[in-house]
Amino acid sequence: MTPIVETHDLTRRYGSNLALDHLNLAIPQGAIFGFIGPNGAGKTTTMRILTTLLPPTSGEARIAGVSVTRDARAVRRMVGFMPDFFGVYDNMKSWEYLDFFGRSYGIPAQRRQQLIGELLELVDLGHKRNEPAMSLSRGMKQRLSLARTMMHDPRLLILDEPASGLDPRARIELRELLKELRAMGKTIMISSHILTELAEMCTHIGIIERGKLLAAGEVQEILRTMRPHRIVEIRVVSGAARAEEALRAHPDVLELRRESARAESDGEEAPLNDETGPHTLLADFAGDEYALGELLAMLIAAGVRISHFAEQSGDLEDIFLHVTKGIV
Amino acid sequence: MPELNPILIKDLRSRMRGARAYILLTIYLLILAGVTLLLYAALAGETVNDLNAGRRIGQALFFTIATVALIEVCLITPVLTSGSIAGEKERQTYDLLVASLLTPWQIVWGKLVSALAFALILIIAIVPVMSLAFLFGGVGLTEVLIAIAGLIATAVLYAAIGLFWSAMLQSSLGATSFAIGTVIVLLLGMPFLIVIASLILGSRAPSDLLDSVWFIYLSRFVAALHPFIALGSTASQLSNGGDAFFEVVRTGTGNVVAPSPWVLYTALSLIFTTVLLAASVRSIQSAQSARDGRKRPSRTKE
Repeated sequence: MTPIVETHDLTRRYGSNLALDHLNLAIPQGAIFGFIGPNGAGKTTTMRILTTLLPPTSGEARIAGVSVTRDARAVRRMVGFMPDFFGVYDNMKSWEYLDFFGRSYGIPAQRRQQLIGELLELVDLGHKRNEPAMSLSRGMKQRLSLARTMMHDPRLLILDEPASGLDPRARIELRELLKELRAMGKTIMISSHILTELAEMCTHIGIIERGKLLAAGEVQEILRTMRPHRIVEIRVVSGAARAEEALRAHPDVLELRRESARAESDGEEAPLNDETGPHTLLADFAGDEYALGELLAMLIAAGVRISHFAEQSGDLEDIFLHVTKGIV
Repeated sequence: MPELNPILIKDLRSRMRGARAYILLTIYLLILAGVTLLLYAALAGETVNDLNAGRRIGQALFFTIATVALIEVCLITPVLTSGSIAGEKERQTYDLLVASLLTPWQIVWGKLVSALAFALILIIAIVPVMSLAFLFGGVGLTEVLIAIAGLIATAVLYAAIGLFWSAMLQSSLGATSFAIGTVIVLLLGMPFLIVIASLILGSRAPSDLLDSVWFIYLSRFVAALHPFIALGSTASQLSNGGDAFFEVVRTGTGNVVAPSPWVLYTALSLIFTTVLLAASVRSIQSAQSARDGRKRPSRTKE
């Protein structure tokens, strides 16, 4: 995919403080890009440069090939920005809020009226059209803010901590909305601290710390790269002792753990007893997918009855903790 | 048909919605009407046997109403604009405006016109009260038109002062304090300096210096920086049968023709307004680089 966002050696200083250090980033078109990093890592600085709100000290940032410093106006047409706060106006109804930003982006009156209705429906705020924006709940304000970013039909949405401060229901609604926006062909760059949510919805991630990009790419690729082995979860209905013995002897199994509490009560050293089962074993497996298939076949051939055999899905939090040093 | 400035529409919607605008207008007119009534009561008692009573009452009413209106415009308009751009920064909507396709000029112009639209309502609202003076005589249409032109020029300049501080500072409170401070310096500091200068020059300056053309123009220029002095001098000139647009200054060496103080005041107001608006636009343009090294609190997390 062609990158819609490209940065080359993007650097930003605040006095003597280096906020971004030669950041090289590429976000493919149509991706949901999760931008992860501890507080003060440089996420918001990057986003503000990409939205033309902050000039870089050095380096280059481009949106769809257009430089953010040379043609800020063209970039603004392509980008919808939602900061980590919701700026409201007194005495302004929801539709008026959207109408104002529609006018600010030069959308013709007729199209604007149509768009306001469509966008309010999209973010499920059609019934709040004439309500003062100030009176909306936090989740609703976030959705209205998202509708605002969509007013000029941007190709790229940059959302800074959109889920911050939202209750679980509002988060789920926001996540579903973002998926819908992606289906509409939008590229979404999103920063968040809630990594489990990002893992669920993002196609790509970038991990940043102290202004340096530590890792970036497709989520599954990053998980594979950062964790050199697979964790295979095997639930054994019968033949647990045989399974354990075979797995320990297998050259690609680096480590084997028992998961259930009952297994622990049986004692780590004692062989597993089928009567106290079924048991779950976790194997750190260094082989590829073919080797994994062979492992399963070997267990079945050994007479082990298995009800569940699956590679554990990657945990972004583990990767995040592994990659970052927590020194910001 | 081209659409109106989005900022203007938004601010007018916010400003005129609710009771605040109407309460302010009512208080403004009540003060004017109260002062007019008190003045009439005082003058009517004193001039019972005076044949020119009507003319004197008319002139007194007109000048008092114009003065009270000018004081109110001087104080209200900078307050109307001082919170405009700083308020966007406080509400955290400033970035949203800057990141949109609005130009800095559109932002400044929209803010100025929305405040002036309200100031214009205040000025138009005094016209009926001011017209009472016509019933008594002693005041011509020229005086009324010059007073309205002076009020409008003052409203525009003082609104630009408020807007300038609003663009420069981060908080509405700071911008309002600086705007009111500037107004106080202009209205009180300027007459103080003029009095001091006249005291010094009156006793020591040679007469050829006081009669020189450049000194006459300089003194008119300084006087034209103050709305009350400029408009008061014009009123005095008109009541002595002078021209509405030119002033003839008699000196020992001959006559010097200078523009009427209100003309000079209006022209200077226009120039200063342009400079202040340009500075406000520039402040918004350079807002991005100005953030260098002083990130706002909401950004400190990154």
